[in-house]
Amino acid sequence: MARQKEGKQKKKLSTSNRIFYIFNTIFWIVIMFMVLYPLYLVLIASVSDPDAIVRGEVIWHPVDFSLIGYQAVFQYGELLHSYGNSLLYTFSSVIISIGVTMAAAYSLSRPKFPGKGLINFVFVFTMFFGGGLIPTFLVMKDIGLYNTPAVMVLMGCVNVWNLMVARTYIQTSIPHELYEAAVLDGASHFQYFFRCVLPLSKTILAVLGVYYGVSKWNDYFTGLVYLKDRSLLPLQTVLREILATLQVDKSGDYMLSMSENAASMAEAMRTANVAKYCIIVIATGPVVILYAFLQKYFEKGVMIGSLKG
Amino acid sequence: MEGKNFLSKPGNRKGRAKGRKKGQGLGNIIRNNWQLYVLVLPALIYFIVFNYFPLYGIQIAFKDYKAVNGIAGSAWVGFKHFQTFFDAYYFKRLLSNTLLLNVYSLLWSFPIPLILAIFLNQIKNPKRKRFIQTSIYVPYFISTVVLAGMLYIFLSPTSGIFNVVRELFGAKAVDYMSEAGAFRTIYIISGIWQGAGWGTILYIASLAGVDQALYEAAEIDGASIWQKIRYIDLPSLVPVAMMVFILDCGKLLSSNTDKALVMQTAGNIPTSDIIGVYVYNVGLGSGQFSYTAAIGLFVNVINFVLIIAVNRLSRKVTDVGLF
Repeated sequence: MARQKEGKQKKKLSTSNRIFYIFNTIFWIVIMFMVLYPLYLVLIASVSDPDAIVRGEVIWHPVDFSLIGYQAVFQYGELLHSYGNSLLYTFSSVIISIGVTMAAAYSLSRPKFPGKGLINFVFVFTMFFGGGLIPTFLVMKDIGLYNTPAVMVLMGCVNVWNLMVARTYIQTSIPHELYEAAVLDGASHFQYFFRCVLPLSKTILAVLGVYYGVSKWNDYFTGLVYLKDRSLLPLQTVLREILATLQVDKSGDYMLSMSENAASMAEAMRTANVAKYCIIVIATGPVVILYAFLQKYFEKGVMIGSLKG
Repeated sequence: MEGKNFLSKPGNRKGRAKGRKKGQGLGNIIRNNWQLYVLVLPALIYFIVFNYFPLYGIQIAFKDYKAVNGIAGSAWVGFKHFQTFFDAYYFKRLLSNTLLLNVYSLLWSFPIPLILAIFLNQIKNPKRKRFIQTSIYVPYFISTVVLAGMLYIFLSPTSGIFNVVRELFGAKAVDYMSEAGAFRTIYIISGIWQGAGWGTILYIASLAGVDQALYEAAEIDGASIWQKIRYIDLPSLVPVAMMVFILDCGKLLSSNTDKALVMQTAGNIPTSDIIGVYVYNVGLGSGQFSYTAAIGLFVNVINFVLIIAVNRLSRKVTDVGLF
């Protein structure tokens, strides 16, 4: 179909336009290669033989297919534990984030909400001026959130930008007539919010879910700063430690200390060469899967929410 | 209870609306306002605890913070910490490292999403367009730590793909991650790889909103694609682009501490030591809370002034502003 259309158009195309289309096609092939190849490389390396990776043979396809990397990763107790922590933090944080954001966005979307301007200012101001790392750290210590799972769940759980996107969505995508009708029928704000606004906001809920979920899942810094107990650490913070060993090519040591089953130092070193790719796949997998599932809602929602945001 | 009614009797809406409009509609709104406050309350509490309490904590920048005395009880010392920072031999290095990293980063990564969006907009096959769009967003979902991990792997002097290729051409392997001279380039290129696709969202949205009649009129007048881009696409992107630019300028002294932190190695410290990383290392590493809080405040004030200034300037020049 597309071919035929192009063929028909071709007669009309001027030379300069034809050059443009050729240029554009090449441009996008190059861009797509640059975007996707690194990801592809990680994926194929994760299922290749460590020796082939070290020899630099894994470039276009997996070499000597093997899953020893994944097997090894699943034996690192701390990694799995932190994976569970991350799932827990992310899941609870997303629920809270969405609830709090939508509720506030709804209130701010009401044109006749007394005090709206002031509250809006209080929110937006935080985008431009903050206390900074150290005061925040000391305050968290003072109010007893330091080194608790709560700080992992709550820190960053409301984002002003997301709040504004949600507010715009409610303002523009839910007809005002519906609100008037509901009020006339005696519905309270609670009733209208829970029974009308939320069910009609699936798109923006998906968008918020992705935004909040991704930033929470990917955050290593909060865990690094606000946690002390190793048993509470999220995945990304633990990954950072593994990374620190990658820097000096000592990942073998780390893997050995993490895994009781590794036969020897040499074996651990060998496995580490492939395990680092597997870790990347496992750490990134949930996020990409979430995105893939919600992607359909996503573009629509982002566009509606961000236009005139 | 009454809430169910309005869902089950949509037919009555109009008739009722006429009958009751002034008397009860307004009365209900006022009576029900407390519920709006309840709904906004959790977010308000969040910002007070996580943003305004720390603002109160900023006072330690002017004090000698001692844990036993707490934030309020420590002794005032005025601008001592600021003075120490401005006089320190590393002040210049930190400031220029931070500024250079962010200015280069902004200059390189700001135009690329614009270009991508414009060229993506010229792809007429919807399936292909959608595929490209979905793919270029993916890197955005990769975490900082994983991104840095990929950099270490790809740039590794022994097995990294870059050095494998270099050696193919007979060049010597380079340990890029320990090269002070390579840090900014790696930081910026990886940042573009990760963020440029995502950055197109806003631009694609505004291009989708352009009146199609404009293009048709241009075609009748015999405009080429380049001309359509130059005279229709670009002008329609200016407002959004200005907004993004203003917001980016507000981060000139602070952006992405966490990425620089994971990319820092012993070798690249001369260029990778930026203010945010320094605050983390010295503040939390060696417990100099007041001193680093002062540095943090300095950064915040500069950023705040910058964003106000750029916003003003933008208002004057392009008539677009955030506030």
